[in-house]
Amino acid sequence: MSRPTRLGLAVVAVALATGCAAPQGGATPAASAGTTAVESCGQRLTFANTPQRVVALDQSSTETLLALGVQERMAGTANLKTKVAPRYAEAYAKVPVLSPKVLTAEPLRAAGPDFVVASFKELFTADRAGTRDELAKLSVPTYVSAVNCPDGATPPFERLFRDYQNLGRILGAQDRAGQLVAEQRGVVAEVEATARKRPRGLKVVWVYSVFNGIPYVAGRDGMASHMSRLAGAENVFDDVAQEWPEVSWEEIARRDPDVIVVGDLSERGNPGDKASEKLAVMRQHPAVSKLDAVRNGSFIELPGIEMDPSVRTVDALRAFSEGLDRIAGRG
Amino acid sequence: MADPAAVLLDPAVEPVVAPAPPAQPAPNRRRRALAVVLSLLLLAASLVLATRVGAGLGWPQIGRAVGVRLGLPVQPLPPLLDSLLWDLRVPRVLLAALVGAALAVCGAALQSVTRNALADPYLLGVSSGASTGAVVVVLLGFAGSQLSVAGGAFLGALVSFGLLMLLLRRGGLHSMRIVLTGVVVGQMFTALTSLILMSSGDADSTRALTHWLLGSLAPARWSAVLLCAVACAVGLLVVWLCSAALDGFAFGADTAASLGIDVRTTRAVLLVTTSLLTAVAVAAVGAIGFVGLIVPHGVRLLVGPLHRLLLPVCAVVGAAFLVWTDALARVAFAPLEVPVGVFTALLGVPLFLLVLRRRGEL
Repeated sequence: MSRPTRLGLAVVAVALATGCAAPQGGATPAASAGTTAVESCGQRLTFANTPQRVVALDQSSTETLLALGVQERMAGTANLKTKVAPRYAEAYAKVPVLSPKVLTAEPLRAAGPDFVVASFKELFTADRAGTRDELAKLSVPTYVSAVNCPDGATPPFERLFRDYQNLGRILGAQDRAGQLVAEQRGVVAEVEATARKRPRGLKVVWVYSVFNGIPYVAGRDGMASHMSRLAGAENVFDDVAQEWPEVSWEEIARRDPDVIVVGDLSERGNPGDKASEKLAVMRQHPAVSKLDAVRNGSFIELPGIEMDPSVRTVDALRAFSEGLDRIAGRG
Repeated sequence: MADPAAVLLDPAVEPVVAPAPPAQPAPNRRRRALAVVLSLLLLAASLVLATRVGAGLGWPQIGRAVGVRLGLPVQPLPPLLDSLLWDLRVPRVLLAALVGAALAVCGAALQSVTRNALADPYLLGVSSGASTGAVVVVLLGFAGSQLSVAGGAFLGALVSFGLLMLLLRRGGLHSMRIVLTGVVVGQMFTALTSLILMSSGDADSTRALTHWLLGSLAPARWSAVLLCAVACAVGLLVVWLCSAALDGFAFGADTAASLGIDVRTTRAVLLVTTSLLTAVAVAAVGAIGFVGLIVPHGVRLLVGPLHRLLLPVCAVVGAAFLVWTDALARVAFAPLEVPVGVFTALLGVPLFLLVLRRRGEL
């Protein structure tokens, strides 16, 4: 039985058990009749009413909620890595920032949330926001992104879409969620279609950041590896089972990539965060500078924040695909 | 354990703490009573006032929350604020008090047992050993049980203590040498803790490292408070019952033996008890430094060197000290939390240098 079917059955079962009508997708922001039930990363969340005071614990979940247009019902946000996307800036301005970094249990409870959303399980520990069990006992359901709970079967973009649908259902924003899923699924399909017209198997390295001169690249476990496959390219560090492993420039040179994706983190503002700084390092490196990819300028610059799973990742996917077109067409 | 420990008692080193004459004139006794009463008042006031420090709760809210528990006809707090007070703030303040008391008493006892004014569970590397033990247990998958983490920390503390004794076996004994050896042992266990955490592949290893090496009371919950309370009740009582022996140790092992003290047994009991107290503290909140060093010195200036009085006042002052340092850690950069060990070190290091200077070693 597929997961959505099982979920649907669970909803119906709960609705029958409580003698209420099953939610028919028409949940209104104020208070909906019936109970919404959602499975999130090992916990079953039930909602008798639509949450009115939502707290998001990190940037990705904040942007997802803003994309769903529920900023009026957000009681707080925390832990922004860089600026929110310009298209959400106005909505974001309405949300109280509870902490610039990781939110701890005291300020979270002081904010009086009725629903807490996070991208990572690790944000729910005793020394951070408090454990999920503690919050559940206080009748505060906690949602953890499906991206953080791989089931081994669902591809990462589908897990992101599941988040939109789940959160849309919980927050009474199904229409917006449906729209978002349709749009983004469209982008993924488009990229896959373009990939079929292009020579396959281009070798790509994703240089996310350079810290103290050491490059961090995409391994097998992140979004970048998945995006490479969708676009018909091959991530050269797919043998490393990590998200952003630390490697050496020599190893990058040895793997001789056709394309180099460079993460631009200039919004973060640390030294070496700009894409141009990373390009300069590569052009000066004795081995890397001799690579064909560097000589021919086969670079694709992408915002680093979009290389991690979020509502903005499809933007990176589209730009990546366009970059490959440019490089392949020229070759 | 007791045998190598004997080297710590070198009769050539002058006594660090000179016991006062045994007969106490009446004014002194009154002063002692006053010291105990005053420090207890200080602690009580600290516990109440520090509960107010931090986000979300003012006196009216605390009054309502307490009133409801007492059955008074007041409006209850919203459940989340009530839980902020009872599930987070109150256990946190109590845990700070228990850990502060344990560390201060450990410091006082170790200073006498090693006849070294600079002894302290943190400087001697015992805290680092305990954190290594705790980290191993956590990574083996027993993180859920406070008791097993404390057990691992206890083993780690004993191992680091044993190593310290082994390293101090031969060669002349000088207080600087003890401290340097302790620092080296501590560094080794700190490195081991880092190695274990970093190689665990946990995405959050840096955060865990900060917790175990600098200490934080943010994860304080009732389970840790209960375990610490039991350990403190037993441990502090055992150390206190050894007061007379601790006074005797200050003159050296021979003098202590001539006073009718079973030196080896008492020393072993004290070392195991301080290891246990340190371990329970570290398992609950990580390695917090300098409390055991500066509190006993301050208290000794106030109430003199006799352990029968020194130990309880140390416990109370140590408790108040950590309660306030943690309150500072909570609000100094709110809503961000600073590891409390950062503040105890910032306050402790200047005082440590002062002690060294007064002893003419700097």
